[in-house]
Amino acid sequence: MNQHTVKAYGDELNQLTAEVVRMGGLAEAQVADAIESVARRDVALAKAVVERDNRLDALHRDIEKKAIRLIALRQPVASDLRRTLGAMKLASDLERTGDLAKNIAKRALILAEAEPMQPLTRSIERMGRLVSNRLRDVLDAYTASEIERALSVWQTDDEVDEHYNALFRELLTYMMGDPRTITACTHLLFMAKNLERIGDHATNIAETVHYEITGEEMLGERPKAVPGPGEEPTPTPHLSASPDAADD
Amino acid sequence: MPYDHSPSPVAPTASSRLWTAGASGGVAILVMAVLAVMKPELAGWLAAGAVAVALATWLVNRNPPAAADEMEFDQGAVDLGPDAALLGDVFEALDDPLLIVSGGEADDIAGRRIALANAAARDLFRLNGAGGGLLVSVLREPRVLEAVDEALFGAVGTEVDYVGGGVQERHWRAFVRPLPARENSNWGGGALALLALRDETDVRRMEKMRVDFLANASHELRTPLASLSGFIETLKGHARDDPKARDKFLDIMAVQADRMRRLVADLLSLSRIELNEHIAPLGRVNLARATADVVDAVSVISRERQVTIHAELPHGGAAVTGDRDEIAQVVQNLIDNALKYSSAGGTIEVGIEIDRTLDEAMAARMAEGNRLSLATPDRETGQRYAVVTVRDHGPGMAREHLPRLTERFYRVEGQKSGERQGTGLGLAIVRHIIIRHRGGLSVDSAPGCGAIFAACFPLAPAPDA
Repeated sequence: MNQHTVKAYGDELNQLTAEVVRMGGLAEAQVADAIESVARRDVALAKAVVERDNRLDALHRDIEKKAIRLIALRQPVASDLRRTLGAMKLASDLERTGDLAKNIAKRALILAEAEPMQPLTRSIERMGRLVSNRLRDVLDAYTASEIERALSVWQTDDEVDEHYNALFRELLTYMMGDPRTITACTHLLFMAKNLERIGDHATNIAETVHYEITGEEMLGERPKAVPGPGEEPTPTPHLSASPDAADD
Repeated sequence: MPYDHSPSPVAPTASSRLWTAGASGGVAILVMAVLAVMKPELAGWLAAGAVAVALATWLVNRNPPAAADEMEFDQGAVDLGPDAALLGDVFEALDDPLLIVSGGEADDIAGRRIALANAAARDLFRLNGAGGGLLVSVLREPRVLEAVDEALFGAVGTEVDYVGGGVQERHWRAFVRPLPARENSNWGGGALALLALRDETDVRRMEKMRVDFLANASHELRTPLASLSGFIETLKGHARDDPKARDKFLDIMAVQADRMRRLVADLLSLSRIELNEHIAPLGRVNLARATADVVDAVSVISRERQVTIHAELPHGGAAVTGDRDEIAQVVQNLIDNALKYSSAGGTIEVGIEIDRTLDEAMAARMAEGNRLSLATPDRETGQRYAVVTVRDHGPGMAREHLPRLTERFYRVEGQKSGERQGTGLGLAIVRHIIIRHRGGLSVDSAPGCGAIFAACFPLAPAPDA
């Protein structure tokens, strides 16, 4: 990046990357805080997560604006163009991740009013930690341009799916055992689905990182878990199907 | 030491700069001497010049700042006299990671650069040089970045607690302090801030361990305790004069008491391992030898249960980095587990693979089964692993059970683990030991096909010859 004859051009590109990394840090923190608010029934933290989401949105808009400006004024080619486009793609994945984290926090607010469900929130916490780790790994791969690390995130996507399926079964057992827990369990189920989605965004980011570095699409089948009993083969509009908490 | 020690290449560039200063001085003197020989009428002037150059070179060398950091430190300092080098050494030697961050433009995140990092910080963030990198590329935590901005542009110092990533969670407290601006610097602007990190993982873990232990112990001991008090009541009541029933009840009570004892022991060892999880063990263990010892030790029980253990161990051994007792406990728990689910006449195969990459170590080992990784270490380029595999031919597990195997007290439904009940903590202990060793754990299983557990440990570096 230092070979650019015009110094400002390289600076602008670096700034774009730095902005994306900062946004990544914010998204990571949102996910971690959302999970913690569920685990500890922390209403204040959940509210903070919901409020902070608009900062992610603002960063997203800002990055997009800067990327478009850069494309229009500098006409980047080859790896510079990939970096610019990668920044845009990452920003929208991260923005989506933030939305999902916000949704988890909103549900945490509702759950905090109900009876505590220790073993279940623990399972959510465990899955959440797995997803946060993947997000962290893939962002590390992005900052360090490490293709190997990005690949390892991409290849282990099935772990999240496994966790999701296990949690699905666990929740079903609870709901069948005691119908009074259905409301809370449904919220937990949507949380698990949101986490699974965040994991998918991490995988997307891994693909973008791979493309940015090599210029090639990732080929081959991603390892897929066997769909669980509740998994439709076709994608379903999960978020819109949920009650009022999911109005993002 | 409170943090991991990963070798980080630190190039002492300044010494070479010193060398060039000395060399150029020498060359200048040589040139003057040659000139003096050729033009004797100028000899007086040239001799004076040579003396001046020699003096200057000596002056530069007299006070040698050892590393690049101090040179840069010197540039900013107005007048610290001969103590500047000492302060630089102190900065470098402090155990807590310290970063000096330069500000740049207020609205440009790429302006926050690491002006200076001490050895501990370079280790922690795997930095190669003393400075120059972007702050966001090593630290993304938004609250820390905010605090840095406040210190740089608002001149307000703050403290922030945050959790650092990695398989082993680390709790950090970041102290951010504004520093007086330096005009003459290559750091892109005047504003500077000090970012000091302190590792508070130990304190947090102690707290968490106490809470977890109480919660687990009270929850899990309740059942056997209830049954004990039930039997005591019966023995005091209508079974008082019935010797046959009394013996039977006392036997059951003994089993329950034994179970409680094992539970407490397991919980304690789990807590202890969790407490040390972030401190990587440093010893050198022969994995093959440790495995052979465990196989010998369990041979009594396996013979009793008519289960054959086939162990195929490499002759050369497999030296891994680790704690001998803990690695033996991993093998022990895995074999115990296999024994529990093997029926009489069955076999258990124990094997060791050496010199594998992480991907090879964690690869699927059963053609028709499902594979899942239960613990994956942080990726380190070039690290090789030794793998110990334990295969049983028991009932096996369906895919949906695999992710929850290392949960505390998790039991696969509808499976009996034989008369010697486990505590439900065996695999949780295995997982935590492996995480502490920076190793990995994976399982392959399918209903009716048994299960393969594979635990990998990082190979120890070759001993210095």
